Amino acid sequence: MAEDNILSDDLLRQLISVGEVDILVGLHTHNHAKTIGHVVQVIREGLLKYFPRERVAVLNADGGSVDGTRELVRAASITDLRRENSFYTLRTLHCISSQYGTNVSNGTAMHIIAAAADLLRARACAVIAPESSEIRPDWMDQLLGPVYRDNADFVAPVYRRQRFEGILVTNLLYPVTRALYGKSIREPRPGEFAFSDLLGSRLVGHPMWSQDAGRLGPEVCLTLEALAEGHRIVQAFLGPKGQAERPAPDLVAALRQTVGPLFWSMENASGAWSSPAEAPTLLTIGPTFDVSTDGMANVDLARLHQMFCSGAKDLESVLKSIVSADTLSQLQYAASLDEAHFHLSEELWAKAVYEFASAYHRSAISRDHIIQALAPLYRGRAYTFVTENLNAAPDALGERIEALCVTFERFKPYLLELWSAPERGS
Amino acid sequence: MALPKVPLWYKDAVIYQVHVRAMYDSNGDGIGDFRGLAQKLDYLQELGISAIWLMPFFPSPLRDDGYDISDYRSVHPSYGTLEDFQLFLHAARDRGIRVVIEMVLNHTSDQHPWFQESRSSLNNPRRDWYVWSDSDTRYRGARIIFLDTEMSNWAWDPISKQYYWHRFFSHQPDLNYDNPAVREEMWNVMKFWLEMGVDGFRLDAVPYLFEREGTNCENLPETHGVIKELRRRLDENFPGRMLLAEANQWPADLLPYFGKGDEFHMAFHFPLMPRMFMGLKLEDRKPITEILQQTPKIPDTCQWCLFLRNHDELTLEMVTDMERDYMYDVYANEKAMRLNLGIRRRLAPLLDNDRRRIELMNGLLMSLPGTPVIYYGDEIGMGDNIFLGDRNGVRTPMQWDGGWNAGFSSSDPESLYSALIMNPIYGYQSVNVTSQRRLQHSLLSWMRRLLQVRKSTPIFGRGSIEFLYPDNHRVLAYVRQLGEETILAVNNLSASAQAVELDLQRFKGNILVEMFGRNIFPRIGELPYLLTMGPYQFYWFRLRRI
Repeated sequence: MAEDNILSDDLLRQLISVGEVDILVGLHTHNHAKTIGHVVQVIREGLLKYFPRERVAVLNADGGSVDGTRELVRAASITDLRRENSFYTLRTLHCISSQYGTNVSNGTAMHIIAAAADLLRARACAVIAPESSEIRPDWMDQLLGPVYRDNADFVAPVYRRQRFEGILVTNLLYPVTRALYGKSIREPRPGEFAFSDLLGSRLVGHPMWSQDAGRLGPEVCLTLEALAEGHRIVQAFLGPKGQAERPAPDLVAALRQTVGPLFWSMENASGAWSSPAEAPTLLTIGPTFDVSTDGMANVDLARLHQMFCSGAKDLESVLKSIVSADTLSQLQYAASLDEAHFHLSEELWAKAVYEFASAYHRSAISRDHIIQALAPLYRGRAYTFVTENLNAAPDALGERIEALCVTFERFKPYLLELWSAPERGS
Repeated sequence: MALPKVPLWYKDAVIYQVHVRAMYDSNGDGIGDFRGLAQKLDYLQELGISAIWLMPFFPSPLRDDGYDISDYRSVHPSYGTLEDFQLFLHAARDRGIRVVIEMVLNHTSDQHPWFQESRSSLNNPRRDWYVWSDSDTRYRGARIIFLDTEMSNWAWDPISKQYYWHRFFSHQPDLNYDNPAVREEMWNVMKFWLEMGVDGFRLDAVPYLFEREGTNCENLPETHGVIKELRRRLDENFPGRMLLAEANQWPADLLPYFGKGDEFHMAFHFPLMPRMFMGLKLEDRKPITEILQQTPKIPDTCQWCLFLRNHDELTLEMVTDMERDYMYDVYANEKAMRLNLGIRRRLAPLLDNDRRRIELMNGLLMSLPGTPVIYYGDEIGMGDNIFLGDRNGVRTPMQWDGGWNAGFSSSDPESLYSALIMNPIYGYQSVNVTSQRRLQHSLLSWMRRLLQVRKSTPIFGRGSIEFLYPDNHRVLAYVRQLGEETILAVNNLSASAQAVELDLQRFKGNILVEMFGRNIFPRIGELPYLLTMGPYQFYWFRLRRI
């Protein structure tokens, strides 16, 4: 099995010591010393408060930190050797850490966490982003409670976002996922989430790990898997996400981590979304949409416009292989407009995204090139979204996103037609 | 016959706690007696115990199972006479068994002549043998111990029209230790029994001897003055006898009861006991190691007394609220099992009659540092009856065989002092000495073997302890050392098989010899020593360098 190769002897030895657990919390780190200490302390506090009698453990899959990250995680253990005067616990709390290699990979870390959860027979496993500066102890209850106590299989977060934070999610991932499965998963690429032993055991041998999709965007694959298999999903409101300052990945890297896995998952489970079966109702604990208007995203609108225009022009030959002639024509028209008049409509955006998905499905050209080619179109869409909602109240913003989702749903038959069509002519 | 004079004999002892009433009825009146107990000494000798601790057998109205004493210098007629006791005492000594008796210092029965005199008038010479007050508001800092039955530590006496102080039941007025006459008389009582030949006393309820305003009336300095004086007189007049403290306190609060080796010889380690049960259920050694980490070093001549169960409820006084709630939930899910702040169940029912767990817990009892006490009947896995009221459910007749009255008495069953345990799992037809004696692998046979192995070395009673802390928290491992001898004890607290790596590098070169089967295990090398263990299994290894 795949996990045989990904669990090092060192980690295996530590897992043997931990033994069977009820709850496992996983962290993927790489040089997160600035934040991990606080994050682990809060996780610990939450576990001890909400699951005081359960057998719990924290597992850190580390990509080769050189700043003391692993030591900070281990220091949070509560054992009979390492007692905390401020904490009384019934049980030992293992906080284990192991380096999986030096090539940092979200997928590898996630695979290790899933495999460990399966080996330790954890009934519930949560994954927490190591840079979550706004983490609170009740996140443990919000994420793990529905799985551990109420038999949910997957718990996705809902965050309080800033107005223009996560445009890739609000304008692409969320609407597409919702259109595909009819479920309003607000964060298809969750930073924090939880899954059950049932879902986890499916993940361990999943084909995604050997694909770029699984290596780069396992969270998206996991979310889509939960939807595709009709698992019981709960959303839990966590509040502000908060993130310590780290350089954001460039757009192409971000697309590879999100849209690539999205398209791959569509490919992998087309039967499930093309005619989705009756699935349990999506339960959301807390608000489903919450936007903070504090601060403004640092958006360089001029650059977005300029990069759309140059991309539409420079990638014309590539776009010809991906989108329909009509879509290409509309994109080229949009590229001819100045900033004041520029607009990438919801309909055009939805059509284009679906055509990209179809091209990915047909491998019209290299799949990675398809993903890369989406970059300028996304910038155009981002420009439109920001300018249209610059002063929108939170409710209005929510309605706009809702309208976009409806547009994607309306165009789903078009996607189905594309998906099942034979090799496309020009 | 005089027993050999072994210095600090109590450190090597294995003590058997028994109520004479419960052991064997020799005269067919339904109540165990001293002549009957004497007849069972061969059994106890065969079991391998070396001392008996007798629960109260003095005359008493028996409203607290004999802890309410009405005459300190006699034997309750139901149990025989003073001569019967002396016969028993000599028979025990002939078999090398020492006898420790109960001495209730703190209080008497309200039927004791002293109290009857004291209450008769305000001017009676024994008036201040007890603690009287016009109001019931003094000593507010003192907690109520018997929460289920008592609302106050004061009781109104309608005869002398004052309140009297009682830390236990209201029919057990506290003696006034501020009165020198009381102190002198209690020494004389002890002397009476010492001259008869008893080897020691378990002093009941010692923390409560004194009361002072503004305190919790426990563990007061004056108490230690009394104990020191008793101990001085004991050592001077009866060397080699032993004082055992019953003080349900945190380890640090118990330390003063040892003094500088000039107070008690032994004290029960109350806080350890519930944590052994907790560690087993949690499958985590943490509760056990932590309490022992907090246990202070005691004088070299002193000893902790360890136990799993006794005649009282499994006390949960010395645990946190979280721990108490946990223990109630996992060990006493029925309310009827709970009494005061504890659980009134025997060892076997607490452990679901799981032979492996019973063995493991007894293994811990015998290998952790201290002198172990076996509660009568636990060596055969006797059950309990929670519906008998108070703590009577763990004080039922000993089950000798599957016949008439479990072989305990020839009387009519209805006249027995207590109903027998009769259910199909623990009833006397299933659980009895005769059956288990016939089986090589019965619990009784195993317990005999366990005691044999324990007594094969003085390490368990006298050696040091050092915990190993393997990463696998379900394994409790420790090294006992005495002189050149070293024993390694490894205990799997889990219901599932475990692998554990032990850091034994400083013992490199030693061979491990498993003490029950005497088989050799691999030599200790450079690498961590890997052991695999079955559910609830334990090992005792003697380290040998050859």
